[in-house]
Amino acid sequence: MSHTDGTHGNFTAQDAPAYEDVLQCMRCGFCLPTCPTYALTGRERSSPRGRVALARAVAEQQLEFTGAVKEEAFFCLDCRACATACPSGVRAGEVMEVCRSQAHHKYPLGHVGKSFREFILQRMLPNPDLLEKSTLPARLYQRFGIQWLVRHSRALKLGPTWLEKAAGMMPDLEAPLRPQLPVVTLARGEKRGRVGFFLGCVMTLMYPNVSRNTVKILAHQGFDVLTPKDAKCCGAPHLSEGDRDTARALALFNLDLFLQQEVEWIVTDCAGCGAALKQYEELLEGQAEYEKLARFRSKLRDISEFLAEVGLRTDELQEVTATVTYHEPCHLCHAQGISRQPRELLKQIPGIELREMNEASWCCGSAATWGLKYSRESQQVLDRKLANVAATGAQLLVTANPGCQLQLSWGLREAGMPQQVVHLMELLGRAIPT
Amino acid sequence: MSRALVANLQQLLGRENVCHEQEDLLVLGYDSTPGIHHLPDVAVYPTSTEKVWAAMEIAQQEGLAIVPRGSGSGLSGGSVPAKGGMVLCLNRMNRILEIDEENLTATAQAGVITLDLFNATAAKGLFYPPDPGSQKISTLGGNVMEDAGGLRGLKYGVTRDYVMALKCVLPDGSILTTGGKSVKDVAGYSFKDLLVGSEGTLGIITEVTVKLIPPPKAKRTFLAYFDDIRIAGAAVSKIIAAKIIPSTMEIMDKATINCVEDYVKIGLPRQMAALLLIEVDGHPAMVAEEADSVEAILKAVKATEIHVAKDAEEAGRLAAARRTALSALARVSPTTLLEDATVPRSMLAETFAEIERLTARYRLKVGTFGHAGDGNLHPTVLCDERNSDEMQRAHAFYDDLYAQVLAWGGTVSGEHGIGLAKKEYLARQVGTGGVKVMKRIKDAFDPKGLLNPGKIFDEHDPCTKTHVEEDSLVSH
Repeated sequence: MSHTDGTHGNFTAQDAPAYEDVLQCMRCGFCLPTCPTYALTGRERSSPRGRVALARAVAEQQLEFTGAVKEEAFFCLDCRACATACPSGVRAGEVMEVCRSQAHHKYPLGHVGKSFREFILQRMLPNPDLLEKSTLPARLYQRFGIQWLVRHSRALKLGPTWLEKAAGMMPDLEAPLRPQLPVVTLARGEKRGRVGFFLGCVMTLMYPNVSRNTVKILAHQGFDVLTPKDAKCCGAPHLSEGDRDTARALALFNLDLFLQQEVEWIVTDCAGCGAALKQYEELLEGQAEYEKLARFRSKLRDISEFLAEVGLRTDELQEVTATVTYHEPCHLCHAQGISRQPRELLKQIPGIELREMNEASWCCGSAATWGLKYSRESQQVLDRKLANVAATGAQLLVTANPGCQLQLSWGLREAGMPQQVVHLMELLGRAIPT
Repeated sequence: MSRALVANLQQLLGRENVCHEQEDLLVLGYDSTPGIHHLPDVAVYPTSTEKVWAAMEIAQQEGLAIVPRGSGSGLSGGSVPAKGGMVLCLNRMNRILEIDEENLTATAQAGVITLDLFNATAAKGLFYPPDPGSQKISTLGGNVMEDAGGLRGLKYGVTRDYVMALKCVLPDGSILTTGGKSVKDVAGYSFKDLLVGSEGTLGIITEVTVKLIPPPKAKRTFLAYFDDIRIAGAAVSKIIAAKIIPSTMEIMDKATINCVEDYVKIGLPRQMAALLLIEVDGHPAMVAEEADSVEAILKAVKATEIHVAKDAEEAGRLAAARRTALSALARVSPTTLLEDATVPRSMLAETFAEIERLTARYRLKVGTFGHAGDGNLHPTVLCDERNSDEMQRAHAFYDDLYAQVLAWGGTVSGEHGIGLAKKEYLARQVGTGGVKVMKRIKDAFDPKGLLNPGKIFDEHDPCTKTHVEEDSLVSH
């Protein structure tokens, strides 16, 4: 997706979008009806086709990497719906991700902004211990922390109402899961193999109960679960914010860490992490041996992908009576192409009635920090989703990604809707006998 | 673009409906036609007929060219601002105004997406048949301007056959409604028919009233595989000769099958030379009878395999897969030069043979797909616009092919329009005299030549070769 040599036109040489990737777009427009920002604005430059055309113009030196190009790179939700829709195989979202990193080369932040961004991306996120000890999320609640963030919020280019929203979105926090989880959880029943579990940062900090269930389910399904405690952030926030260097360093670390473990599969229950981990091959091209990258990639699975592949042992599952509807996380259905498997699992849980919503694979408007940066637009995207949820009349809204879970829980609460949001693994966990 | 002019437009249309930044203009300078790009001076997004009128008034005063644009999915450069000026983006005029169940009509603003109209009418148990490959994206106004066809053209006809009335703004400043809901109407010249397919050169359409019909009660969908594309061509001719008019009879050759399968992954046969997607629809008894005949003909010509779609969902998936053909071909090469040759249906097998011969002669990679049932093929050269030698060979390929197509009584454009890309071929088909008449009509509507200038024919001489700046890029 990016290259650092050859023709890059008005891009800076490091991490320029590959020219072939932008040339691939034949401008048919199949992406247009799938793009949330085009649906909001009707403006061509805020569409995947328009964004790729802007990138091409920069590469062909018809356009400088202007402020507007930067703006479009960050206004893109990176939901990847356009990639799913594109018959030609163009990945506009990834081109924009690369352009975000270009933006930081071209438009360096001021000193305060830079140090704040570096503090989050390069010091906090890469370091699980620091992240847990600092209890960064909890600090959002604290007067001191909030004031500090408000003073520095311009650095992350957050919207005017982001703080209220961020505070409102925060779930009731339990203690982080990482220190509690044993390194090895043994399989129950007939053993089927050994799985390495990639525990994501947001999962351990905000949704420990989800990942606790994931490990429980894997064990119940006959897998030893190995959770390497040293694992670092997958790099997704860095890719999203355009810090590809830190993302690469994290990726190299995780790659080696997981390849050292004797596991047949590497599984995650966070769609955002899964998408980033599956991007390592491209991200680390030329920086790690091809064989290692291919081996790592061949072991990687999202949890629903994994369970559907090995087959769910359903004989002991207990009944969970509920009507549910399923929201597809962009980073699961579009970035990883996983749509069928979560539904298959849902249908295998005794007592569950799945009611499909319209536009299940349309973004919820969370999209990492997008929902905070563009809070007004995010609300519009969210409203569209909530209307589709309401139309199903389902009791539970099931999803499979913490970003969606935060946004949707908050949205439902604000809208006074009765549905609870649960991760697919929480729901499946309820069917697992203790 | 002067600041005063932009301010004036912003005041009339609303600030958010006027774009003049270079990034906006840059992405409104193309459609889906490869290699064509021209910058407009300003772009406006009117939200009503009156605002279209207001924007056009200003353009007239300033002598700016006026170029209408829907979703920019056209394939002949119709919405590209070849001479700069003002691009009129109609995609924010996207309301369906009425579905009249007593008169079986629907009225919609020009920016309504074709598939949205189809779905809205289907919800009321009615049927709007025209279904261009880009129906998910294309606008109704664009369909009317280009007289778009589609997969169902064979049995149900094309956009023109459904247009009952048009509301448009003419260059002289009049707002005109032509046609109506009456089934019969011979009052004077049929302006509506002149406007359909006029590619934005005569007037700007803001509202469209279309005819609706009851949907077919039953359908059957076949997928037939062939180890020689000419046999597929012969099968099509034989089905038509047997007096069966399927609703759809689509062809894909091996290159297309493989590209589409790379994208949709539904198990299309990668080894086969061609496949036909055939759908018969109508009353259940008739469908059963026609399906039997189609199957018998497919067996008689020795189709390698014949499959029947098991349900509507599978049939829908197959049609959707076919609709991705052009874009999927773009997987193979950076540039896809698509053509729109249409021949009398009895000449299909010969046309495939000719395409094969020319492909070999000019050492090109060509993927062919199209609406075999109405003789409308899309031979697509898969090339790289940076390779000028290859582009010249592609040009020669189309030159030879069109000479043969015209000799057989075919047309240079079945459904994509002339636009910028095929001006030279038009003169070959309709002759200098034909082009002169078209120009006189154009002059009568638009004496200043401000409406979509440079399209269909050149102002100065109908027979000159066109658009030198795109010479290496476009098959024309």
